[in-house]
Order: sequence, then C-alpha cells, then structure tokens
Amino acid sequence: MKKFVVVFFALVMALSFSVVSAKDYQVAMISDTSINDGGWGSATYQAMVDASEEYGWTYKYTDNISQNEYYETIVAYCDMGFDLIYAPGNQYTDAVLQAAEEYPEVNFALLNGAVTTPEKAVNGNVTSLLPDKTEIGWIAGALAGLMTKSNIIAFIGGMELDTTLGKYAGYGEAAKFVAEKEGREVTLLDAVYAGSFSDSGKGIEFAKAMMDQGADVFFGDASAVDSGARQAIDEFNKAAGEVKVYDIAQPGDFLGQNECIIGSQVTDNSSLVGLSMKATMDGTFGGEVIYGTLENGVLSAGKLSDMVPEDIQTKYLAYVDEMKAGTFMK
Amino acid sequence: MDSNFISNLLLATVRMAVPLIFIATAELYSERAGMVNIGLEGLAAIGSLVGFLMCYITGSAWIGILCGALAGILVNMIYAFATVTLCANHTVYGMAINIFAPALASFINRIYFGAGSQLNQIKLMDTVNISGLKDIPFIGPLLFNQTPMVYLAFALVIFTSIFFNRTKAGLNYKAVGEHPKAAATLGIPVIRIKYLSCVICGALCGIGGAYLTTCYSNTFTEGNIAGRGFIGLAAVIFGRWSAAGVMLACLFFGFCDALQIRLQVMSIGIPYQFFQMIPYVATIIVLSILGGKKSGPAAKGQPYRPEER
Repeated sequence: MKKFVVVFFALVMALSFSVVSAKDYQVAMISDTSINDGGWGSATYQAMVDASEEYGWTYKYTDNISQNEYYETIVAYCDMGFDLIYAPGNQYTDAVLQAAEEYPEVNFALLNGAVTTPEKAVNGNVTSLLPDKTEIGWIAGALAGLMTKSNIIAFIGGMELDTTLGKYAGYGEAAKFVAEKEGREVTLLDAVYAGSFSDSGKGIEFAKAMMDQGADVFFGDASAVDSGARQAIDEFNKAAGEVKVYDIAQPGDFLGQNECIIGSQVTDNSSLVGLSMKATMDGTFGGEVIYGTLENGVLSAGKLSDMVPEDIQTKYLAYVDEMKAGTFMK
Repeated sequence: MDSNFISNLLLATVRMAVPLIFIATAELYSERAGMVNIGLEGLAAIGSLVGFLMCYITGSAWIGILCGALAGILVNMIYAFATVTLCANHTVYGMAINIFAPALASFINRIYFGAGSQLNQIKLMDTVNISGLKDIPFIGPLLFNQTPMVYLAFALVIFTSIFFNRTKAGLNYKAVGEHPKAAATLGIPVIRIKYLSCVICGALCGIGGAYLTTCYSNTFTEGNIAGRGFIGLAAVIFGRWSAAGVMLACLFFGFCDALQIRLQVMSIGIPYQFFQMIPYVATIIVLSILGGKKSGPAAKGQPYRPEER
C-alpha cells in the first residue's frame, strides 16, 4: 500500500511539473479601430489569430480604444501575465515604451514602429515590426498608374502618420513612373486626412469630392474610412452603369469585398507577429527591427480582379518582380 | 468655383446635416421640457447599431430605423427614471449614457457577429426617385434624389416649429421647461411631459444613429457617431432653442464639414490642418456673435420635486 501511495504521489508530481513546464503563451492585441473594419483592424487582428494558431498561443484583444486608454489597456494585459503585447500602429509607441519600462518581463511587438524605437526601450523588450512603407506604396501605385484612365489618382489617410506619409510617397512615385513608361502623365491629388479611422461617413464624402476632381483610382490607409470610400465608389459606378472608378485595398487581400476593388497590397503581418512569438519562446526577443519587404515575402501583391486587362496584369506582375529584385525604377 | 462644385457642396451639406438634425431636434424636445440630456452620443450609438443589425437581419431599412428609435427610447428610460423620478443630476446620467450605450452597442455587435474580421454590409434605403425631376440641373439631385429620411428630417423641423409656437400642447410643453411648478398649478402634467420628452429624445436620437447605418454608410463601425451627439448638443445652443434655428445650425455644421473636405481635396497647397479647423473656428466665431442673452428654458437641468413648495 505504501509503495502504491509513493508511486501515486510521484506520478502526480511528475504530471504537475510537466504542466508547469509546458507554458501556455499568451498574446494580447490593442487597437484603436474595430477588428471588423474591413481594413487595417481586420487584417492586423487576423494576423494575430493566424500566428497564434501556428505557434499554439492563446490570444486576446481590446479594440476601439481611445488614445487615453492605450497605456491602461496595455498595463492591464501585463498585469494579467501576458507574454507578448502586440500593438499594430506607430501611434502606440509612447504607451508601449512606458509600459515596457515598467514590465521588463513582458515583450512588446510594435507593428509599424520606428527604426529607433527598440533602442529607446531601456529593458530591451521592444521590437519594431516594420513593413516597408515605400514598397507598400509602390505595389498599389504601379497598379494605379497602369489602370487610371483619367490620369488622376487619389489617396485617403486616417491620420498623418509617418507610415502613411511613406505609403503616399511610394504610391505616387510608382504610379508616375509606370505611367511615364506608357507615355502618360499621372497626377496624384494631395493626401487628405479624415482625422479618424472609424468615421466611414468621412470616407464617403472624401471619395465623392475626389471623384468630382476626376480621380479614378483610389488607395488609402484609413481603416473604416476606406470602407466608406469604397461604398461611395461602388455607388458612383452603379449610377454610371459600369465600373469606371477603382480601389486598391490594403493590408489584406480584400478582392471581392467591394465591386470596385481591383487588387490589394497584402502585408503578411502574421509572419512578423509569428517571428515575435518564436523569439519570445526562444528567449531571444527584443531590441531589434524586423523588416517586412517584398524580398522576404512579408509584402506582396494580392489577387487581381478580372477588370484588370490581361496585358496590364502581365506588365504589373513584371513590375512587382522588379520590386522584389530591387531593380524597380533603377 | 463652378456650379457643379456648389451643387455637390450643397448635396454633401445635406447628407452631413440630416443625422445632426434628428439628433439636435431630439435635444430640443428634451431641453424644452427642462431635461438637459448630454447622452446624445450614446443614444445615437445604440440606435446606429440596432438599426444596422435589424436592417441586416430583415433586409428592411425601415425596420432598422424603427428599431433604432425603440432602442434609443429604451436606453433613454434609464436617464428618464434617474433624473425625473429620482431627481438625479442630468449631466452625470447623460455622461453615464454616453459611456454605457456605445459599450452596449459594441457588446451586442460582438455577440451577434462574433470576433471575426469580416466586414458586414447592408443594402441602404433607396432614394425617392422622381423620374425627370432629379435630372434638373443644380436643384434636381438636391431636392428630388434623397432618401425619404431626408424629407422626414425637414418635415420634423416644420412640425416642431408649429408644435412649439402655434399649439396649446406645445406651449404647455414649453411651460414645463420654463417654470414647472407654475405649469403644475395650471394642471399641466409635468412629470408625464418630462417622461414624454425623454421618449421623443430617445426616439429621434435613435433615428439619427440608425440613419447613419441604414441611409448613409452601409456598415456599422464602432465609433461611427464620431462626435455627432456633441455637435447636436451645440446646435441647440447655436440655434437658440428654436426648431428653425437648430436646423440652420445643423446645416451650418454640415456645410463647414463638407467645405473643409472639398478644400482639402482641391489641393491648393495649404496644410490640411487649416481646413480641418474650419468647422470649429466657424462655431466659435458664430457663437461669440450670437451667444449671450438667450440662455434657453429657465428650468433646464433642474430637478422637479412636486412636493417642494
């Protein structure tokens, strides 16, 4: 009997240790937009879900938070023992750095964080995940430059963030370059800013005003505002009886979501989040910038609509190959 | 600046002013009975979600609007009970509605649609299409190519103006907001009218919110009210507690916003922040010119205790 009891307790202890050692890793995402906004919020949330499934992590999120709630929300997750905080946006930088200083045992992945942000974290527990903003703009711009008939293209931003400015610049650069090769001159309207990522009504009004100015290809960086813009474009096309104005979506592949979408710039944020998870598990996390480029496969061009003629598809994909090879515009 | 620009600017003004007219008129009915309800943002948020949800389920924008109104009434009854029956502070409970109702809307949205990343869209209410008339240059699209809700908003303003200024019931209603005890001595049912004002306020605010998701934007996004509740509140002060004034204030806000959007788009080399300031700067200027003497119903925001002498 004694032997049995000893064996029993030994087994219980062994099981307990195995449970403790198989740590259940947890990631939390904060977002100031909705996770079903059909744009940035949707894509960045899905990236966390995909990466969590791949690495066997559990995940939580808090969305639609205002600026004064960034820090408190992050800290709440830190207090709950989360291993990784995933903040998809440059606007969370200050809150992340403050929390990272107070919670050295927690890791922080800042999507679109600046190159200099990780070195500012005194505990070395912040990593910037940085999709190349210029390449993002190029992917959309090359398609816009080939598809525009009015030679006027438009861009709608939510806030004037560093990443938004980079995307806008790349968009115009690529559109003008490819159009010039076709013997045309493209005008990119000044970037407009809704001052919000959730007011889809502003997207509707901006798109209508820009179509009045002759814009026929749109790209944006404004979450639900982009959804509003697409609604206005679809309404315009319906009234015209044919699809005359197009939209290029980002950062997920949203082909089919709206009739006007002819293609998407896709950012595989899940691989960036996955790398952060892997580094956390390996104990190597922190103090670095993980770049997302066409070359390493984080950035890509999404599926193209049938509305893009075959010859343009061929030209476009050739340009994307040049971008990958680093020979675009050289 | 051609006629096309002006025509489109006016169209955008109307689109942006209509939800404000519903919300601001809701506050007008509330304040005229002495109820200062600052919870308009929250009431519109719940109306917006319920309107969208019911339209999504049934396919009918009208059912969405109706249910949005009912949701607004239901949530506003919390405010009504606390401020009328319990004589609680109007501002505190208005603020509570602003915190509670958008959170409730988010909660219902997540319960129904789940935590997915899919964008859910509905078919918007059809416009009243009077063939031929909508093609009249300049005024055609403005007057004859709108959803029925736009016409209802302006009809509501006319009705409200007549009700408050030309009917005995309207004068009795206003008396409750000016001097409830005097009104009570004349046999006017003060408590009942205060509750009625909350029902009207909740319904109109809910309609304003539901308008956004059934007639304007075909998706529901949390945060889509985007300050319209607070602008509605300002429009009542701006419009000096009259239906026509409130409507003009809403059109003014709508015009300023539509103008700043178009000026941003015109790419004239001026920083966009300057244009984004226009609605706010214009409001400050107009309020400083018009503000002052008239301060609205005398008993607004004050608790009414019938047993007090």
